[in-house]
Amino acid sequence: MNHIISLNIKEKSYNSASSPILKDFNLEVCEGEKIAVVGESGVGKSSLLNIIGLIDKHYKGEYVLFGSQTDKLSDKISAKWRNQKIGFVLQEAALINSLSVEDNIKLPLLYADIESRKASLETFESIVNTIGIAHILMKKPHDCSGGERSRVVFARGVIMKPQIILADEPTASLDEENKERIINLLFKMNKEFNATIITATHDLEVARRYDRIIRLERSK
Amino acid sequence: MKIFGFFIKRLFLKRWILSLSMLLLLFAANYLTFTVARSISSTYQGYQEMRRMDQDGTYIANLDPDSAPNFDRITLEKTQAVYDYLSDNYTYALYADGFIISLPNDDDIEISLNYISRESYALNQLDLSAGSELYFDYQLNEDEIPVLIGKGLSNAYPVGSTIKISDPVLERPIILKVQGVIKPNAHHSNFYALNSKNYYNFSIFIPVNEEFIKESNIDLHVNALMDMVVLHTTEEDAATLSEYIQNNLGLKFNFFSQEENYDYFKDYYANSLKIIMIITLFLLVIIICLSIWNASTSIRLMLKDFTINLLIGLSFSRLKKILFGYFSILFSVNLIVIAVITAYNRHLFWVNKDTLFVTYGLFGLIGIDWVGLLVVACSDVLIGIVIIEIMLWKIKNIPISLGVLQ
Repeated sequence: MNHIISLNIKEKSYNSASSPILKDFNLEVCEGEKIAVVGESGVGKSSLLNIIGLIDKHYKGEYVLFGSQTDKLSDKISAKWRNQKIGFVLQEAALINSLSVEDNIKLPLLYADIESRKASLETFESIVNTIGIAHILMKKPHDCSGGERSRVVFARGVIMKPQIILADEPTASLDEENKERIINLLFKMNKEFNATIITATHDLEVARRYDRIIRLERSK
Repeated sequence: MKIFGFFIKRLFLKRWILSLSMLLLLFAANYLTFTVARSISSTYQGYQEMRRMDQDGTYIANLDPDSAPNFDRITLEKTQAVYDYLSDNYTYALYADGFIISLPNDDDIEISLNYISRESYALNQLDLSAGSELYFDYQLNEDEIPVLIGKGLSNAYPVGSTIKISDPVLERPIILKVQGVIKPNAHHSNFYALNSKNYYNFSIFIPVNEEFIKESNIDLHVNALMDMVVLHTTEEDAATLSEYIQNNLGLKFNFFSQEENYDYFKDYYANSLKIIMIITLFLLVIIICLSIWNASTSIRLMLKDFTINLLIGLSFSRLKKILFGYFSILFSVNLIVIAVITAYNRHLFWVNKDTLFVTYGLFGLIGIDWVGLLVVACSDVLIGIVIIEIMLWKIKNIPISLGVLQ
């Protein structure tokens, strides 16, 4: 299988005084893989996802994504890949409260080119029906339940049919039923579109359902 | 444009209090900058005018503030004697203004008659937009008197036309012939308050020769002494003249050389300007700090909105452009408001028919106003860069996960 992610972090720190949050970390990910990243709070799970998702480029090391050296990618290209190739599925709080549910889901379309926008509009209909949020499209996030908000965040993360889905604690603060629903939806994306799923989670029950578990420990 | 519109309408204006407070803070900074820049520009204009007097042997009369004049004691014979003495012993430039009369014109504004001698005309360098230069060797009782007029009168009284007025200093009707039209917004600065100006748009310049002085009344004689400039003389001779005037009219005049005026300018005016600039700079720094604090608050409140957009395809370079666009709108609103306030104030001079202050200009603004606006625009670029760079630095330095979960 093709390696779509080849990451070699020598060191990642937030400031020079503190000890590195990630050190000598290597990761190879194949297309269509499902990976769970586990570890205590503060060990660098979110930092790792930010690096993989081209949000954070301030680290020592090498990162090849889709065959390209990411340090050579411009800010513009990185943003374009985040829009079209990488989808972020975050906690249910990650919504813009001043926008309706529909506008929140369609937000990535704002940054897409005309063709992708057209295709994604068709995807939008099928996603909202599949995950059962068609009835809340006009509502504002604060008028929705936690479970509904999680599904909205999920819909926004996958509307562009990304090749990589980065999920950061997508089931935190959800009840069992909604937790199950979100995990199933992620796996469905994997199965139907061969999307690579990388999920950071505290939940070992959830993690065990992935192809591979990566355990992060506090660097010394 | 679509993304920019989204940020403005759906994000920034949703938190309109932050936008409004930022607008008001920037307005305070802009208005302060505008006022000071315009004042300095106006002072510089006055300074340039003052430099025309910068010749050896030139002394400018100034009524001593401690002099207690008794105008009842002053008679026409006495003032004429002073002018005869001046003619016999000195070269002097005579200029007197502020003689207001009514004269029909398109704007129904009263007219200021300004009396000027050949020497004063040479010193003041009035630029003309039409017609030809003033001449002084006319026969007062036989010829029409050649005059220069301000732009405001040029429509009603084109070059070559005649104007009949009842002259307040000759106290009889005279016929004036329009010789030329002075350029719009020609002005005269007060030499002791250089940013204070009288504009000549509704003025008539009447050339004064010796015959004219002889037939004038005491008003012109006394008024002209107040701004008298004595040329090609010495300090001793200027002191002698001062003594002569005091003995004859009881008016104590100080004759200051241009060097002494410069010293006054440096001691009083330049120092005042320095203090004003330091205070302005200090206030500007405070206002800019408040604006930065406001921007930081905006980031804290909108961090989730920014980070979500960054996650789904917004680049930092595009965010920078959006912020520049947003601040450009705020600065443009301020510039327009300042321009409107200034134009309205200038318009009020027209409404109040203020002869000495009405001006012409694009959208009602004159040169020094545009200079002020240009300085504001330049300062806005600097303020904008500082605030935006700080905003971006803050956004980049807050971990995305914290931003999203805010």
